[in-house]
Amino acid sequence: MPSEEDKSTEQKVAESEVESFRKDLGPFVVAAESTRMAMVFTDAKEPNHPFIFANDSFLSLAGYEREEVLGQSFNFLLGRPADPDALAQVEAAFASSSENDFEICFRRKDGSTFWAAFFISPIRDKTGDVVQHFASFVDLSKHIQEEERLRFLLDELNHRTQNTLATVQAIAVQTLHGAADKEAVDTFEGRILALSKAHGLLGRKLWDAVSLRDVIDQILQPFGLNGRRVAQFSVAGDDVRLQPKAALTLALVLHELATNAAKHGALSNDAAGKIDIAWQVEPTPQGDRMRLRWQESGGPPVTPPGRKGFGSRLIEGGLAQDLDGEVRLDYEPAGVVCQIIMPVPRQVGG
Amino acid sequence: MNSPFSDRRVLVVEDEVLVAWLLEDMLADLGCAVVGPAASVKQALAMIDAEAIDVAVLDVNLNGQLSYPIADALAARGVPFVFSTGYDKDRMLDGYKTFPVLQKPFHQSELSDILAKLLTPKEPSAEPIIATVAETPP
Repeated sequence: MPSEEDKSTEQKVAESEVESFRKDLGPFVVAAESTRMAMVFTDAKEPNHPFIFANDSFLSLAGYEREEVLGQSFNFLLGRPADPDALAQVEAAFASSSENDFEICFRRKDGSTFWAAFFISPIRDKTGDVVQHFASFVDLSKHIQEEERLRFLLDELNHRTQNTLATVQAIAVQTLHGAADKEAVDTFEGRILALSKAHGLLGRKLWDAVSLRDVIDQILQPFGLNGRRVAQFSVAGDDVRLQPKAALTLALVLHELATNAAKHGALSNDAAGKIDIAWQVEPTPQGDRMRLRWQESGGPPVTPPGRKGFGSRLIEGGLAQDLDGEVRLDYEPAGVVCQIIMPVPRQVGG
Repeated sequence: MNSPFSDRRVLVVEDEVLVAWLLEDMLADLGCAVVGPAASVKQALAMIDAEAIDVAVLDVNLNGQLSYPIADALAARGVPFVFSTGYDKDRMLDGYKTFPVLQKPFHQSELSDILAKLLTPKEPSAEPIIATVAETPP
């Protein structure tokens, strides 16, 4: 600790400020000193916002002794060299005439870092001049650790789900081999795979919103989208964010449409048919709605199926019931057309 | 039918017996000859030493053991391979993220697409082998 003679005039001034601060606020200082919330006051009249008060919680969070902090400019908490973005954020907060809060990474005395929810507010005197700043810090380390742990558990769960579905696929194929016709086995396997691909996609997005393009990519990949049949697909529309449940149902519907196209439609018998998928989002008074059109062309002439199978039940019933959507499936002779109108969450950004 | 995979020798590394069987069936269906399946790193390395192999499918997690040493041995011999995993691609170890990955469970057509890519003779190139097989599918 520096002796009195080593101290600069500025530091002596700052320390006398601290003393007057303690005298003025008496019992509040004691309360502030012992609360679990890490808090500091800085002097707005001196350059670089030196600390004039730091409570015990702050000191234990940042790892400093009180005398190492008082009189120091606030920015020393950002480490040297400070991250320019963090520095700019802190300087903007000090310059602001109102309260600010954001998450920011600070550096402890021992060089380690901690993320904190940081709150800073100007304090004015009777004439309205900003004389001090009050700042508080909520340590986010535990919160971040907990998030990482949850992320890890979710990854494990996704992994196990995918492995279980791979085993279901294997059992089904082994069990039905020779006992059921190949088409039935393929159809069953395809549905399990579509379900697992949609789950995988949702798992990777932590069961938050997923993109329509990702759903289309995942589901149509086995049918040669971006691969051996790339020329037969056209996919057009600005990306749309989907709710998990909507994504799951839509994935199964797209899978059924593609399976049907591969069996009877534009992708059948090496037909040089085409599938055009196009959509747009329209605002309505009830919220945003997406219109998606699946149109096949160039395949063999289409005849409507004699009875409704699982596929068309899922297409027509699944979306309508699960998603408050409307579906029209038309077996036009020139090619199957499926039109889907469904609500989508409000899209952010363009 | 004359398949592009006729008699190609494919090393299968997979510790789940049922999944290994399914993979064997898929490969047999494509006309490939299966080497293995190997259920551990040790078994796989022994097979790489003893057998001729054109291409390999590697489960990433073999009952707790990671299959990266197998990948290294294959890369050192210039044998192309694809990882198969139920984990997200992002969970691959640094240095292995650029290799192709089949996300489990997968369809036979996805397997044949990736094998076709891996078995396509490469243009002569100054690039090292690892960089050549590291192309991820678009």
